[in-house]
Amino acid sequence: MTATPYSAPGSLPTLDVSGTSPVPLTRLVGVELRKGFDTRAGRAYSLTVLGLCAVVMLVIALLVTEGFQDFADFLTAMGGTLGFFLPIIPILLVTQEFGQRTGLVTFTLEPRRSRVVLAKLLAGLAITLGVMVVALLLAAIGTALASLRGFDPDWGLELSQLWSFVLATLIAVFIGFAIAMLVMNTAAAIVLYFVYSLIVPTVVAFLSAFIDWFADLAPWIEFNTAQQPLFSGDYRPSVEEWGQILTAGIIWLAVPLALGIWRLLRAEMK
Amino acid sequence: MGPMISVENLTRAYGSFVAVDDVSFVAQPGRVTGFLGPNGAGKTTTMRVMVGLTPATSGRVTIGGRLYRDIPNPGRHVGTLLDASAQHKGRTGREILTLGATTMGLPKSRVDEMLHLVSLSDAEAGRRLRNYSLGMMQRLGIAHALLGDPSVMILDEPANGLDPAGIRWMRDLLKGYAGRGGTVLLSSHLLHEVEVIADEMVLIGRGRIVAQGDKRSLLAGDGTQAAVTLVTSLDDRKLGEALQRAGHTVTMAPPGEPGIRIEADAETVGRAALDQQVVLTGMRSGAAGLEDMFLRLTSDTQREGMPPGPPPPPPAPTQASPAGAPGAPR
Repeated sequence: MTATPYSAPGSLPTLDVSGTSPVPLTRLVGVELRKGFDTRAGRAYSLTVLGLCAVVMLVIALLVTEGFQDFADFLTAMGGTLGFFLPIIPILLVTQEFGQRTGLVTFTLEPRRSRVVLAKLLAGLAITLGVMVVALLLAAIGTALASLRGFDPDWGLELSQLWSFVLATLIAVFIGFAIAMLVMNTAAAIVLYFVYSLIVPTVVAFLSAFIDWFADLAPWIEFNTAQQPLFSGDYRPSVEEWGQILTAGIIWLAVPLALGIWRLLRAEMK
Repeated sequence: MGPMISVENLTRAYGSFVAVDDVSFVAQPGRVTGFLGPNGAGKTTTMRVMVGLTPATSGRVTIGGRLYRDIPNPGRHVGTLLDASAQHKGRTGREILTLGATTMGLPKSRVDEMLHLVSLSDAEAGRRLRNYSLGMMQRLGIAHALLGDPSVMILDEPANGLDPAGIRWMRDLLKGYAGRGGTVLLSSHLLHEVEVIADEMVLIGRGRIVAQGDKRSLLAGDGTQAAVTLVTSLDDRKLGEALQRAGHTVTMAPPGEPGIRIEADAETVGRAALDQQVVLTGMRSGAAGLEDMFLRLTSDTQREGMPPGPPPPPPAPTQASPAGAPGAPR
């Protein structure tokens, strides 16, 4: 390789920061969004999640025989699929800073780490909203396919149903963030998320089946159980059920998220 | 003009282990300051504290009079390269620079300028980092540090992995940069690397500063310098005996070198040779250089210590060795 002389004109100034403004949050959000899709893994994962949604939609639309073809039913199925897999996106957004050690550059270019955390949360939310819109479209396509098969699906969608779909997906994404910041490791964070979303509710359901008092307690302390009213019945949790969502949410979301942010703000970037 | 980087009584402890112990030094604008020490001496930790990646236990570092976190858009003022491999292996070189330029609010054209500056071709810039050689990664890291046209550069082992031409290129680049008023702090565990590029040197061993200054003042401040001359001639014995009679200590030259070692200056040795009619075939100073000084000052921190001689040779494997002897081939 040939040497190229460093040829910026003039001499370098001393450190004069008067003309420099801090990095605006919008720019940080833009960079974090870009980081979500500028690797093969990042792009492939988002497409895979949408692909899974499409497969679920097609299975229901083409194979299910009766009684689950309403627009709201498709939306519930989409929400369940997203709840399982979408949180991996924010997990990757956070843990790459440690696993790939990009945090060395990220936090050198913006040493006010709370702004990087905020940018990641906002970028994660933007991606989540985008995926949810696509999921809504897929649900509509599914409903249309069902009516082509001769069923008579109900296109009606109450606001509470849409709200439940959005809320449950957002909760899942924020839990992904919390776990990622707490453990700062991609594999461990993904495993922990599936422990939370699959194993914990299974164990709780098992115990609830045998222990009466535990069955009463479970929705107050187990977040997946507490969120059930968001997916079933009339999609309108009662006051007591909202209380359960709140208490379980403090245990499984608010506390881990606060601890995770606290850890990330203080951690030594290795 | 005051110092640009000022490290003030910096200490960083991990439990009972003190990685950086009450370190103070400065780096001046227009100068390349070499930060030199064996592996694990605390160079990297000090640099990480400088840019806020590691919190200080006590003491502080200011750059241009400010704490790093108080510098707005710091990439525009301080170019940092701590570890060129600390990037996503699945991103291309160009993408890595684009992310940096976007964060700093620079036009995309800046990315091409920097790629050109560090001689990474378009094809190379389009490759993913996992396919980069160490030298290419290092060039990319230097390009990243220069993106924001900073007035200060903090580089940890920047020559690591560069080939000799690359090292020469980086030296010219950093010298030119300092020549235009920039401040460069670069670390290395290799003395020769720092010796040729640095105007000032800061020597660190086991977390403590053991010496600092420019090369001449470092050697002058080292009070153990007696004149020593190494000489080869057509009659070493005759010359040596004459010098010994004159009261100088004469020994064999260090192992692996021909001739004799005389604790006297070159003129004395030359005059003795003239008197004795001995033809000199070679003569040079045998004084301890910067390297000896570096090794001595940091010797208690070197992992190897300073063995008095070469290690014993391994037992020669022979057919005759008794069966079962350790190391004997079967």
